[in-house]
Amino acid sequence: MLNVSERVFEREAVKPRALALVNELVISRVILLIAMGAGAFLRIWQINAMGYNTDEAVYAGQAAAIARIAGLKEVFPIFRAHPLLFQFILSIVDRIYFSDLAGRLLAVIFGLATVLITYELGKTLYGRLPGALAAIFMALMPYHVIVSRQVLLDGPMTFFSTLTLLMLAKFSKTHRSVWLYAAGGSMGLTFLSKETSIVMLGSIFVFLALAPEIRTRLRDLILAMVVMVLVIAPFPISMILAGSSTTGRSYLIWQLFRRANHPWSFYFTIVPPAVGILLIIFAIAGLYFFRHEHSWREKLLLAWIIVPLVFFEIWPVKGYQYLLPIAPPLALLAGRTLGRWIQLARGKRFVSPVKTLFNQPAVYWLMTGAVVFSLSFTSWRQIQPETSSTLLAGTGGVPGGREVGVWIQEHVPLKAHFMTIGPSMANIVQFYGEHPAYGLAVSPNPIRRNPSYDPILNADLQIRNSELQYLVWDSFSADRSPFFAAKLMSYVDKYNGRAVHTETITVKDKAGNSVIKPVIIIYEVYP
Amino acid sequence: MIKRTLFTIFSVVVLASAQFLPVQAAPIRQGHQPATPIQHLVILMQENHTFDNYFGTYPGADGLPAGTKMPVDPNNPSAGYVTPWHLGNSTITDLSHSAPTFKDQYNNGKMDGFVSALNSRNQDGKQAMGYYDGTDIPYYWNLADNYVLFDQFFSSARDGSFGNHMYWVAAVPPIAPKGQKLNDVLADVPTIFDNLQAAGISWKFYVQNYNPTITYRDQTSSGSKASQVVWVPLLNFDRFIDDPTLSSHIVDLNQYFIDLNNGTLPAVSYIVPSGASEHPPSNLMSGQRFVKSIIQELMRSTSWDSSAFMLAYDDWGGWYDHVTPIQVDQFGYGPRVPVILVSPYAKSGYIDHTVLDFTSMLKFIEQNWNIAPLAGRDTNANNFISAFDFTKAPRLPNFLPLGRITVIPPKKDPTNVIYLGYGGALFLAVSFFSLANFRIQRTKKRGTQQVTK
Repeated sequence: MLNVSERVFEREAVKPRALALVNELVISRVILLIAMGAGAFLRIWQINAMGYNTDEAVYAGQAAAIARIAGLKEVFPIFRAHPLLFQFILSIVDRIYFSDLAGRLLAVIFGLATVLITYELGKTLYGRLPGALAAIFMALMPYHVIVSRQVLLDGPMTFFSTLTLLMLAKFSKTHRSVWLYAAGGSMGLTFLSKETSIVMLGSIFVFLALAPEIRTRLRDLILAMVVMVLVIAPFPISMILAGSSTTGRSYLIWQLFRRANHPWSFYFTIVPPAVGILLIIFAIAGLYFFRHEHSWREKLLLAWIIVPLVFFEIWPVKGYQYLLPIAPPLALLAGRTLGRWIQLARGKRFVSPVKTLFNQPAVYWLMTGAVVFSLSFTSWRQIQPETSSTLLAGTGGVPGGREVGVWIQEHVPLKAHFMTIGPSMANIVQFYGEHPAYGLAVSPNPIRRNPSYDPILNADLQIRNSELQYLVWDSFSADRSPFFAAKLMSYVDKYNGRAVHTETITVKDKAGNSVIKPVIIIYEVYP
Repeated sequence: MIKRTLFTIFSVVVLASAQFLPVQAAPIRQGHQPATPIQHLVILMQENHTFDNYFGTYPGADGLPAGTKMPVDPNNPSAGYVTPWHLGNSTITDLSHSAPTFKDQYNNGKMDGFVSALNSRNQDGKQAMGYYDGTDIPYYWNLADNYVLFDQFFSSARDGSFGNHMYWVAAVPPIAPKGQKLNDVLADVPTIFDNLQAAGISWKFYVQNYNPTITYRDQTSSGSKASQVVWVPLLNFDRFIDDPTLSSHIVDLNQYFIDLNNGTLPAVSYIVPSGASEHPPSNLMSGQRFVKSIIQELMRSTSWDSSAFMLAYDDWGGWYDHVTPIQVDQFGYGPRVPVILVSPYAKSGYIDHTVLDFTSMLKFIEQNWNIAPLAGRDTNANNFISAFDFTKAPRLPNFLPLGRITVIPPKKDPTNVIYLGYGGALFLAVSFFSLANFRIQRTKKRGTQQVTK
């Protein structure tokens, strides 16, 4: 029993703490509001300034085929390599209003939803402020901004993956098995977004194995797996019912045996700047400085980062956007570090000026500001319309691609066939031009080619037979495949090719002068 | 001798260079503007096939009747019969297709001598009853599916190439009275090109691998290239050889592509092949590639929207056709030949049953550009205007493939499966989230109630 004076003291002592909580609530909400606003701005700014890149064209084409859009359903097979959850959702949008903008806006919605889920996850794990800071980091992170502006499967996959993480966090926190079942359902949706996310299942098992404090009954685990399998089931069932059951298998075989497309150092050079160097530093710093606070929370987040990182590092095929699901846990770890520092700093003065400095909340707010600034500055730069005639897959639209397609639709006879240097431009020609296109670089050897693509078995003969009437040179493919670019141009020369359409961009030369450079040229050939 | 050689060289140089000179066609005279949207008529004359030989099994056309059989010997039924058979990749020969051969095959209108006429000429008469189908000439069947196929188009003469080509340009047979040379007779025979020239309407006669030095004057010394003189009947007319204002219109086929490219395709274009003529025993696929290249370039030119292209075959080539040719005069008609019209205004997948012959092409030219008829045949011929539909906007060009477009039985439409499956998956997952949330909320509520109690 406390006496009166003690009670007064306690009230006075509690008052600033309560006030701090109120402040934290307000501050967190303000940060979240800024995150959503800035995130939306960065994702929508000039979103449709350029046409689709090759992957976007494929996924949007599949969606259009599901929606039975005339002109596209004929050139895009529904079943290719991946499951169709995102394409299925986009097809519903397409049935209402079909445009390339709609697909990208849907990707933005998934992107912003991921920011919200990140906040919710942060709040569940570490409280509102770390959650809000993680949300703003996600909202501004170039990696996530760039990918969630495009019609790619990785954005929705990251959303569902983060949702799974949230369900797991809730399960770990409450020990209620229903959250584990929900995690199974969410994991199923993650898989239905992109099948490579199955690697996250490894993350879950690694987490459960390394966190003995999270007691999981085998029955619950099995039930969660059943839920996941039930959710995944439409993928194989729809393929079997549609008679395309070999498509996925062929794709898997090809992926297993294809040659590496990037060096082993690819992710270490590409991903850190895209995620934010400062953010990574703070994420690691938190793991070190708060090591005494470590619990299942960090194990969960680290399992979500390390398992896919190791897997995709070993996997021969590397892609810019493949590691996107690790972005939310990284943002959370950084948010946790800065949030905790802000919460712990009392503003007290010490004899040591260093100690005094690092006890001021303002210092940590400044650090947070620095992360926010660096992320938003990089994102802002990267969302400006492309002015390069080379391209890294997954980083944005292709200059001139849409314009070339519009020209093809207006000027090229029906059933005319195109030959491009590689399949990337072929996809764009097919989506925007609504004409069949084939990549010269697609290998006739089935082991060496993506089974989604049809090879040109004898380009020379097909041109002579007037089966290929238009050849398309583009600087992006030429940069990647100089051999096939030269081969294509040899056909242009041999068959009296005449340039009938050219798309150009303005770039800076070495001296800094603006020069006009052709990026896509369409040739008519006359055998 | 030297003088003669020098003169020959000079003539060759002049003639050869003439085709590269721009044709100085006078402007179209008043009253000769096209009466239809067709401002360019292009006619390609291939070689030696009957309608039944190419389209005898084409659905909906007047093709080979069921139960068709041809006696091996019309006078001896016990010698047996030959029924139509699919030629496919069978080796074929150049069947006799002279006027006497047709007379024997025609057999006074009984049309039962197609096998015996060839047998009696030491050829395998069974071949006459062979036919091709969509697997052999897929491109032509694709064209027929998408444009107009004429199934009552007769060759004009019961004769080989030269007679029919003459009808094609002049509506008369190449007959010279005894003691007269053909070229002397032709000096007074007007052709469609004379009339076009007079009316100021542009025209060209495009010849694949054209050699200006080969005319009727040195035909005998030209060996295998002599077909040029047969297939380009103008090279039997002195004025079309010697008068540069006329001879400059006879040009190599390369000029056709240049003209399309430059937007200078003439109003009337005649085209004859060289190697890719489909004249038996030549390769049908080569012919189809050749025809495809000509049609495709027309399609992607600026002239397409106002063009009509006709693919025709000059004579029956010795092959069987079941329709007895109509007798219009002592020279014709000959057996039916395959003819296809490709145009942005052509009806789609239409089989035209109008009775036509090569002079119908002249008739169209004369009526479209308001030119006087050349002779009785073209005056009395039917026009093929019924094959067009000028009430509709011009159709977009369509690059039909060399392979047969087959209607692939549609796979099970996966759309419904996808909507049901993926929609169900989403529903299931969302149900679990809702259930989890609901149970947690309920537990919280119970906890609050217990605390309150």
